[in-house]
Amino acid sequence: MVKTFFRKFFKKFNPFNKKANLKVGLYGPPNGGKSTLANRICMDWLGEEMSSVSHISHETREIKIKEQVTIKNKKGKELMFSLVDTPGIATKIDYEEFLKKGIKRTEAKKRAKEATKGVIDAIKWLDNMDFVVVVLDATKDPYSQVNITIIGNLQARNIPVLIAANKVDLNKASIDAIKAAFPQYEVVGISAKYGKNVEDFYDNLFKLVN
Amino acid sequence: MPHQCVRCSTLYPDGAQEILKGCQCGARLFFYIKKKHIEEGKELINNLSVEDKKQIETDIAEIMTIKEEDLDKPVILDIEAIRVLQPGKYELDLVHLFKKDPLIIKLEEGKYMIDLGQLFAKGKEGMDNEEED
Repeated sequence: MVKTFFRKFFKKFNPFNKKANLKVGLYGPPNGGKSTLANRICMDWLGEEMSSVSHISHETREIKIKEQVTIKNKKGKELMFSLVDTPGIATKIDYEEFLKKGIKRTEAKKRAKEATKGVIDAIKWLDNMDFVVVVLDATKDPYSQVNITIIGNLQARNIPVLIAANKVDLNKASIDAIKAAFPQYEVVGISAKYGKNVEDFYDNLFKLVN
Repeated sequence: MPHQCVRCSTLYPDGAQEILKGCQCGARLFFYIKKKHIEEGKELINNLSVEDKKQIETDIAEIMTIKEEDLDKPVILDIEAIRVLQPGKYELDLVHLFKKDPLIIKLEEGKYMIDLGQLFAKGKEGMDNEEED
């Protein structure tokens, strides 16, 4: 415990440790928009996409890392980090859900298997994260078992968290519902798909890291 | 705590020779279940076809990243954490997963070689080393 604390402490404050080693993880349930946000960040600052995106859940089934992402705030201050896009965390993965979306049986079972592995991997990686952005679909009820478990665990591990209430371009979206559910964390409403309010998101990311 | 063979559904108590050597039917994958869930476990396995059982053995090896050279060694999956209802249908207990309780208990040379916590530590060391490189 003490060893871990000191290791984390020195990792954070060691002047020889480049800031590029900071890892910002995108976590959340499937189809919340983690990969869309990862792509938005990468397009905005690197001019290239990072992950493939689909309306079918569990599109991201492996951890993806984009190193040396540098963003700037309005004052011209730079922040460099590695962006980690993770598979969606779920309590139930059923290949029949994929069949309904037109995926063939063999492929659907494979997808379910990979998605299950993805959940385990995402959880394994949590300890390597310096900061986490929890990406939630603002059109959905925030009080889900997945959301509560993820956020509860982040809090228990003292990992700084920013909540991105995504899909605010949709009428049903409610940022207030997410704020009410998780008042302990900063919540920023965004549309990763259309880039709405991303400036505010970047400002909050700066605040989180500094 | 009983161990149930995924292929033939036979139950073995802790420390049974069959768990160390593999089941009489030749299978090496066991579900680790609480006593109160024995009936449920039996039903789960009885509902699976022979092909499904083989598929589950292969899938679990892949999900848990079990190395090829370890495939002939017995593997016990904690079904309180990951329940495989049939190939392609999984139920995950996130509280278990986040707690880093062992998901897989590998048996080697008569010893229990546990656990996911170790795997976490190894994975983390590996990642740290990569960073240093």
